[in-house]
Amino acid sequence: MNIDEILDYTSFTIDREPHIIVDQTVCATCTSRACTTACPGGCYNWSQSDHRLSFVYDGCLECGTCYIVCENKAFTRWRYPRGGFGVSYRMT
Amino acid sequence: MTRSFQAIVVGAGPAGSSAALAMARAGLDVALLERGNFPGEKNMFGGLLHRMASLEEHIPGYWRKAPIERHVNKKSLTFMNADSTVNLQLESGGFDRAPYNGHTVLRPKFDNWLARQAVKAGATLITRTMVDDVIVEQGQVKGVTVLGRTGKLSAPIVIAADGVLSFTAAKAGLRSPAFKPGRMAVGVKALYDLPKQVIDDRFGLVRSQGVANEFVGCTAGVRGGGCLYTNYDSVSVGLVVHIDSLQKSRKTPCELLNAFTAHPHLKKLLRGGRLMEYSAHVIPEGGYKMVPQLVGNGILVAGDAAAFCNVTGLHLEGVNLASHSGILAAQTVIEAHKTRDFSAQGLQGYTRLLDNSFVMQDLKKFKRAPGLLHNDRIFNAYPELACRLMEDVYRIDGTPKKGVAKLAFSAVKKTIGVKNIARDLFSAWRAL
Repeated sequence: MNIDEILDYTSFTIDREPHIIVDQTVCATCTSRACTTACPGGCYNWSQSDHRLSFVYDGCLECGTCYIVCENKAFTRWRYPRGGFGVSYRMT
Repeated sequence: MTRSFQAIVVGAGPAGSSAALAMARAGLDVALLERGNFPGEKNMFGGLLHRMASLEEHIPGYWRKAPIERHVNKKSLTFMNADSTVNLQLESGGFDRAPYNGHTVLRPKFDNWLARQAVKAGATLITRTMVDDVIVEQGQVKGVTVLGRTGKLSAPIVIAADGVLSFTAAKAGLRSPAFKPGRMAVGVKALYDLPKQVIDDRFGLVRSQGVANEFVGCTAGVRGGGCLYTNYDSVSVGLVVHIDSLQKSRKTPCELLNAFTAHPHLKKLLRGGRLMEYSAHVIPEGGYKMVPQLVGNGILVAGDAAAFCNVTGLHLEGVNLASHSGILAAQTVIEAHKTRDFSAQGLQGYTRLLDNSFVMQDLKKFKRAPGLLHNDRIFNAYPELACRLMEDVYRIDGTPKKGVAKLAFSAVKKTIGVKNIARDLFSAWRAL
């Protein structure tokens, strides 16, 4: 099962405002791009053609992995979603 | 929203709610802040809640009242390679009786229940409220600013129980701004729906018995392990992997979890199960060496925020340490309200209480274990050795049998090497 299918089983209340913002200029110079593989939600994808990191916070599980693997301090913002928004575990 | 309290607890997880409960019972006016729509909404773990002896003092026989799934009387450790498993299982009579040694729980239910106990005792639970910053006046934490419901909450003391990344502790300058990937793990988990009767029959359980099964050798060489816990009518299956090792492998947690659940052994255990939910969270696995500063002026740190996880390979404990540290933080705050001294100096009792408790003593005792678990061989070569050796011992192929010692020696030579095994045994003996 791929990540998109797996995430269909998890609920989210998506905020208009992103809770994580990356600095594209920093990400463009990053060679490891650890976030693109380590993120359990698959929120980070590197586009070779655009030479750009795409980040979708909709499927963020708020687990903290990207905060730990980013070697270049590329986050201009990293906080949890505002109260009431974000991932909503029903059972787990 | 502007209000003042006698104490603010950030995070309604096991540490925060235990702290709020103990303080509210002592008559303090406590705010318990939770960023989710309800406590537990953001919380996940593998699935095994160990016995919480200190919570028993506040809620005797809590397992009869709390929404628990099953009590765990079976503990299994499974070594596996691509197509074989070797299983070591304890089925304990002692763990089958109250006070149970541990229960499986689902955190959105359990954490919600625990927070409600704090509310019943008089604490004010404020949900949908994310702490954005700490308010510091003259070097003393005096409260927090919040987002969601926007505003300021003030109190002479704040307990940071906001989980592993604790931005509350970071903003108060108590933890370093960056974490070492080698000290952190990430857990991913899938919850499968299975009828109770099927779980009972498949895992050999009766009444509310449950099994906690841990696996080694199921992470494609990435340092980490797998787990399977039986809930009432669902099964939690997950992997916990070291973040530095995961990073190096360039594998995704999701593909590792898929490979694990596709192993012939797991496939059988999960047959017919329907995927219900996928979740993930970071775990502080650095042990004693990564414990941050626990006390500041007007602030205490408890639970995962304080890196109180005892992960030795054999032990995988967190919630029991969290709850206990929360209760000790509460005791410190109750004392501080008597002396009116909320300075770091005045709050030092917290460190003393922790040092005298199992929380710090276990972390200290096993402080070498996190280093031991950085040995790649544990996750690859040893499970391979266990499977191969047992196969060789039992194999019948029409040729004369070799002695067990000879088989073991040749299996060790092929998988690990004699020098390495001696070295590993020595470090394991020192660490455990």
